[in-house]
Amino acid sequence: MFKIDRSRADLAAAYKANPLNPYPSSDLQKVLQRLRWGSVRDRDIIVCTVPEKEWRLGRFGARRGMAVTVGDTVYHRYEDALWACFRARWREVSGEDCPID
Amino acid sequence: MSKMPKRILGYTDKVSVAPGDDIAFKISSPLPGSYSARIVRLICGDDTEDGPGLKTETIKTPIDGSYPARWQPMRHGSYAVIEDVEAFARPSFTLEAMIWPTLPGNGEIQAILGNFDVDTQRGYALYLDAEGHLSFRVDDAAPLRLKTSLLSRHWYHVAVSCDLASGQIILRQDRQIDYPRQPRVEMAETKLTLGRQAGKGGKFLIAAWVDDNIASAHYNGKIDSPRVLGSALDAAALAALKPGVAPKAQAIAAWDFSQDVSGIKIVDVSGHGRHGYTVNLPTRAMKGWNWDASEMNWQARPAHYGAIHFHDDDLYDCGWATDFTLKIPADLKSGIYCAELRQQGPDGEIDDMIPFYVRPPRGKATAPVALLIPTASYLAYSNHQMATSWTFDELSTSKFTTLSAGDRYLEENFSFGLSTYDSHTDGSGVCYSSRLRPVINMRPRAELWQFNADTHITDWLEAKGIAYDVITDDDMEAEGAELLNRYRCVVTGTHPEYYTAKMMQSVRDFTNQGGRLIYLGANGFYWRIAYHPTLPGVMEHRRAEDGMRGWISEDGEYYMSFTGEYSGLWRRNGQPPQGLVGTGFTAQGFDISSWYDRTPDSFDPRAAFIFEGVGKDEKIGDFGLIGGGAAGWEIDRADPLLGTPPHTLIVAVASQFPASYHWVKEEFNHTHSAVNGENCPMVRCDMTFFETPNGGGVFSTSSISWAGSLAHNSYDNNVSRITENVIKRFIDPTPL
Repeated sequence: MFKIDRSRADLAAAYKANPLNPYPSSDLQKVLQRLRWGSVRDRDIIVCTVPEKEWRLGRFGARRGMAVTVGDTVYHRYEDALWACFRARWREVSGEDCPID
Repeated sequence: MSKMPKRILGYTDKVSVAPGDDIAFKISSPLPGSYSARIVRLICGDDTEDGPGLKTETIKTPIDGSYPARWQPMRHGSYAVIEDVEAFARPSFTLEAMIWPTLPGNGEIQAILGNFDVDTQRGYALYLDAEGHLSFRVDDAAPLRLKTSLLSRHWYHVAVSCDLASGQIILRQDRQIDYPRQPRVEMAETKLTLGRQAGKGGKFLIAAWVDDNIASAHYNGKIDSPRVLGSALDAAALAALKPGVAPKAQAIAAWDFSQDVSGIKIVDVSGHGRHGYTVNLPTRAMKGWNWDASEMNWQARPAHYGAIHFHDDDLYDCGWATDFTLKIPADLKSGIYCAELRQQGPDGEIDDMIPFYVRPPRGKATAPVALLIPTASYLAYSNHQMATSWTFDELSTSKFTTLSAGDRYLEENFSFGLSTYDSHTDGSGVCYSSRLRPVINMRPRAELWQFNADTHITDWLEAKGIAYDVITDDDMEAEGAELLNRYRCVVTGTHPEYYTAKMMQSVRDFTNQGGRLIYLGANGFYWRIAYHPTLPGVMEHRRAEDGMRGWISEDGEYYMSFTGEYSGLWRRNGQPPQGLVGTGFTAQGFDISSWYDRTPDSFDPRAAFIFEGVGKDEKIGDFGLIGGGAAGWEIDRADPLLGTPPHTLIVAVASQFPASYHWVKEEFNHTHSAVNGENCPMVRCDMTFFETPNGGGVFSTSSISWAGSLAHNSYDNNVSRITENVIKRFIDPTPL
């Protein structure tokens, strides 16, 4: 299994530089596949709070019918919300903070 | 915290109407006061910053005005009802059933059988308590509960005998499979002190109990062969009970769920005629406790298919009262219309747009072109909640989950009913989808998928001044090829994915009889579905055998309950889409779209009309609203082995796709790593043209993204040009 660790700050930087496009680096693809594998119910996701203008990180409740928890930090560019989600998932999957802010 | 706004919502009783027809609108608002309503003709529903914008035309009709707002409930959860109250208010009885619980211990009470009424706290119920223990209660007396909780997805024989006069209760469960260290059989007895009128509750319900004259305590799982005996058995007799075996005591009701499978009736075979009916369409044609894989078709061995699977989130018909009814004016042109609702609330205005389709007067065409609205496919996706139903959604889309306001509303408001892409609360797949409920995602201003993406086509037709009628899958299901034959050219939506047998035959007859079809999408004609033969507005699908599936049908459950037809892929039913339209689903990816390059076939004189005004080296569709290109999202491929006609011209190909595009799984024998856009030659998009008998023809763009490129550069681009070239030639009666 491909291991995500802080030594690969280059991969995080590559994602941050271009979060909307497909990724020619196969190692970055592997990182993203690991960050995206499995159910999202207990993980950080993105919630669009104003269409095309405002996004925040959020989390589903334990089951349908419960409120989606939405964070206070507002992102005014979708790319910034993607980067925040990437960093949160990096932390969750690897157990370490993402090496770049 | 971001606060979720309230919504005014509604639905219609019909999906497609003709001049002179009535259509009823059923509205619910969470706010008091009044709301305004008017009718608009919808030209484009894409209100995104880069899109053509929301475009409507107000139509003056008698429904214009203000209406009192009222809240109407969503009563989800399936169950069965037997109306004969007196028959089950007995001094002594025994209840038994085979059950296969799917969510025991989910924190909720789940009723199995009984007449218990929550409001009066009277009656009796056999049920699972919140921790998943088999329990029995009479009135408000302390319930009797077995010690061992039930295992999920295991068959149990459960039974209780009850003598209300003596208060003697015996409760028993018998798991149908032995495991070491886990007791198979458990039994308990008690003696209750009960009043003289004990056990006289409300209606007898299966899979729920009576609550405010409706139902609550919904059970999740299968129930097979429920039976009520007219006396209280002793422990030995209780242990000897088995489905299909005549008990010592006479049955006062015994329901055989393998009968009348396609309907909502449950049949009492005891001879007492205590038949009942189901509410909210629990899933039928389900494997029963005795299914042994000796037969896969429920019609061939009904005795093995005696189960109904109930779900707490099933929803067929909201049953809302009508707020207003529109009689379609005689001169109203065919098109997509919406009832537009607006209401002022304390946090601003709330609104909704409820779509419906106006076809031309029956038996007539009012334009040479028909846009065939894929209402069956809209239904399949209605209110989907893929983000939580799937564990692979982010890997499939190559995106982190991003909830829109609509997604969030559906997640937080349980339950608006689900789509055929979803899993029920208990993880089982959703087989039925209904339009008799508010559908959040098939609306203007919603995601650019199905309904709203298809308004890129209407927007373009209007911009180009091309006259068109709107007809729907529902109309085609009712009238067959005769409906299509009124048009010189029929244009599909962007993703006409779900087809009944009659719809497939209608399109085939149309093209074989000289009709011209423009397949302006991809992944079409893919899944086999059925509409219910008598219940309005509901379809069925089984995710059988293979395909790009949101869930997988259980083995032995591939045949649809509505019609008995084998479901799954049309290519596994002898009709690959390549034989109908030249191409069929080959790959999908949802981050960027690509462009087409012309092929040598495009210079064949037969294809000259397609490329008039298009340069020989032009990239076709290297622009657009859907992923930035005209070839993308889902894409199709020609394949002679799957029925692409031998004279088909592959006039353009898109082949530059990233690794996020994945080859469809039904095509590879073994899993391996060369299945994506970077390394798999099957990940490509073929634009095709071929002639059909009697002067007809089929042109296929084979891409969902195509329509999103039509408006580029004020509708002056090569995607628009090619589409217009083909339509103009296809409405010319000169044989192709």
